[in-house]
Amino acid sequence: MMKLTINGKTHEVEAEGDTPVLWVIRDEVGLTGTKFGCGIGACGACTVLLEGAPTRSCVLPLSAVAGKSITTIEGLSIDKSHPVQKAWIAESVPQCGYCQSGMILTAAALLKRKPHPTDADIDTAMTNICRCGTYDRARKAIHRAAGG
Amino acid sequence: MPPRIASSRQVGRVPGVSRRDFLHGAAGFGGGLMLGIYLPIAKAVGQENAPAAPAKVAPPRAPAAFLHIAPDDTITLVSPSVEMGQGGHTALPMILMEELDGDWHRVKVEDAPAAAVFNNPLFGVQVTAGSFSVRGWYAELRRTGAAAREMLIATAAKQWGVPAAECSAANSVIAHASSGRTCTYGSVAAAAAALPVPAEPKLKSGKFALIGTSPLRVDVADKVDGSARYGIDVKLPGMLYGAVKTCPTLGGKLKSFDDTKARAAPGFHTTVALPDGVIVVARSYWQAKKALALVTVEYDLGALAGVDSAAVSKRLHDGFNEKGIVARDDGNVDAAFANVASIGPAPASSGSSFVADANAAGAPTLEAVYEVPYLAHACMEPMNCTVSTDGVTAEVWCGTQSPQVVQRAAAQVLGLASDKITVNTLYLGGGFGRRGEADFVAQAAAAAKAAGKPVKLVWTREEDIQHDFYRPAAAIKFRAALDGERRLKALECNIVTASKPTFAFPGPPFYTEGVYNLSYAIPNLRVTGVDKNIGVRFGFWRSVNESHNPFMLEGFMDEIAHSLGQDPYQFRRSMLLHPDAARLLGVLDTVAEKSGWGRAKPGHALGIAAFEAFGSYIGSVVEVSVKDQAVTVHKVVTAIDCGVAIHPDNIRAQLEGGMVYGLAAVLRGEITLENGAVQQSNFTDYPMLTMAEMPRTESYIVPSTAPPGGIGEPGTGPIAPALANAIYAATGTRVRSLPLSKHGFTYSVARA
Repeated sequence: MMKLTINGKTHEVEAEGDTPVLWVIRDEVGLTGTKFGCGIGACGACTVLLEGAPTRSCVLPLSAVAGKSITTIEGLSIDKSHPVQKAWIAESVPQCGYCQSGMILTAAALLKRKPHPTDADIDTAMTNICRCGTYDRARKAIHRAAGG
Repeated sequence: MPPRIASSRQVGRVPGVSRRDFLHGAAGFGGGLMLGIYLPIAKAVGQENAPAAPAKVAPPRAPAAFLHIAPDDTITLVSPSVEMGQGGHTALPMILMEELDGDWHRVKVEDAPAAAVFNNPLFGVQVTAGSFSVRGWYAELRRTGAAAREMLIATAAKQWGVPAAECSAANSVIAHASSGRTCTYGSVAAAAAALPVPAEPKLKSGKFALIGTSPLRVDVADKVDGSARYGIDVKLPGMLYGAVKTCPTLGGKLKSFDDTKARAAPGFHTTVALPDGVIVVARSYWQAKKALALVTVEYDLGALAGVDSAAVSKRLHDGFNEKGIVARDDGNVDAAFANVASIGPAPASSGSSFVADANAAGAPTLEAVYEVPYLAHACMEPMNCTVSTDGVTAEVWCGTQSPQVVQRAAAQVLGLASDKITVNTLYLGGGFGRRGEADFVAQAAAAAKAAGKPVKLVWTREEDIQHDFYRPAAAIKFRAALDGERRLKALECNIVTASKPTFAFPGPPFYTEGVYNLSYAIPNLRVTGVDKNIGVRFGFWRSVNESHNPFMLEGFMDEIAHSLGQDPYQFRRSMLLHPDAARLLGVLDTVAEKSGWGRAKPGHALGIAAFEAFGSYIGSVVEVSVKDQAVTVHKVVTAIDCGVAIHPDNIRAQLEGGMVYGLAAVLRGEITLENGAVQQSNFTDYPMLTMAEMPRTESYIVPSTAPPGGIGEPGTGPIAPALANAIYAATGTRVRSLPLSKHGFTYSVARA
């Protein structure tokens, strides 16, 4: 039994310590907005915020997050009202949508760190893979959320 | 997706609702008006842009998709198109609501169950693929909306005792102007259901209110907060998880396995033997995956053992020596090559030039061989499927482009009739053709059967890359001859494919699409196809044949233009002046104009390509600068003529997205074989395009009143030839095979 804080709520989960946090969040806690994409931390579909920092949960063992705070896409806002979510809708970014939770969380963390990111900042931070090719709109949405 | 299994046109089953209910009771929807879509007027594939047949509408028969108007004014479309990001869940209801004059904000979309009545009128199967959704359903959805509108107005008019002709409708409200009376669609929907369905409802005459606008796509909001449900998100009570590993050598079979160690692993439940591998079922996915790694397996490697990519390539080239199936034969190609006009030496030009051919002394001909590799789809959502069965019936949950293929795959494994299988379609985390297949469904069904409990099977990314249905490796040998006027007199295209569909399409060989139907006026033209299928599973990869054949054809066209000392845009233009090519010419002119063709900045170069694809016309110009082999893309300008543009913003999104899908392949995309096994395994060695690599794009929609063409598929094709042609213009190096990385090119973008 291990205690896990997700979106401000404490969950008691039963899983081996080497279980990636991704599967614990999805299958034990039941928050499915965090997605499985590659299993090696390469695509970013599984991105969560660990103590506010974008972290790839498919390679993050459960044993490493004891006592730490995790934010998933479900915890970004309760009503799609986070500036990044609003900008994402305004720019109609998602296509298939599967990578978007990870993109949005990564963008939210970027904006917190750099409220007015340059294109170069965006290129560096946004390493999430999208097969539908929503990159252009995601970039516009980040600039929109930054108010510029 | 083509018809994989011939389907009898039976009325399909929808759980809990009989056919009678569809027509009269709106059961399951709580009353109101429910309408089936009209009998499709079938047009042959490829003829979808032909003028509409005279208005001779067959009376409605068994519903082929459903409009439901509830008493609370909710309007539901049971959608024959699934949503995989292409926008089908928005475009189809827009078409319906246009003629219905319904309130767009009250529209709901549900995925259709597996049933033959949802078969695409153009394609003949229930499939979301081939850019067939809007093309196939446009006419039927318009007629359905118009019929419902007439029924609703007639009902209100009758209740008010006024002539129907004096009533109007907008935003789901019916109004009688002179008396000031109004009512909503929902309030008369139940009574309207009693009316006969008009056989020939009056359609709008082209002045649309909703079509041509870009309302927020219905699926977007749920995709920003994690609430959108994909196949992989399904959870059932008591559900177990499955992990699968199949023979690395493609086509290999399971010989034996030893799961002694796995059985002792935490959470282990069952080992399932598949024809070609093993599934371990466990309490959690991670436990299943770990236990699977403890299973030792022996395989019979099968026919592809020993085959590597060099052997595939050799096979393709061997195909050039075989007599192909003739896909198109205009004029007299043999005579044209035997009697090439003597025009003296070809103009000096770097790269390719017309050379003396041994068989026609002094006659200028040009030859070139192009080649492309296998490609994997790499949908972001790895293949997965959840199956629950009690041995009598079964239920399947997954993201699929082909619900009936899913149904049959599960039925076969479970030993049940197809009508005992309920298919629940969820959002697809990418489809691109991969989710038209149901190999993963058969595996999940086997797991659920063996475990005796519901099982969710989830593939690893490695399994996904290494057991795809691959875009075929292919090659084309081109030969061209000139006439005395320095025009292209004859063109011969020998196409060889290393895989092809397991069923036959009518017409010319499937894999010659994108070449045999070229639009250029060439007096002597022969296109032949040779099948050198090597047994690597064929896949419909976004844009299918148009993902690679235009790269080869438009590359060779560029070679001819440069060899003649002609401008590549003007050269193409000169062959598109005939009436049948007017729409493609419009696209070509648009990309030339918007890209500033002929006025490239110093140090920059432009490449152009344009062709017909999926009932639409598309073209691109790519602007590059190249230093040594470092390619910088400054801009990609794309234009499409897709007929009536239903949702322009989504069309632009599809052009951008299609280009990204194509660009990743052009730059680095290559599936290679060693000992019959795929050498790539994940995004590290099968890399995708990233945000930092996204070029500046401009997308244009050429205005058109023609019936809608495709938008999901066409955007993938133009980037390869346009980029390769731009690289030639910049460097004089002709790229005749992909990916560019193989030739030492590196890539970056410029944003300003």
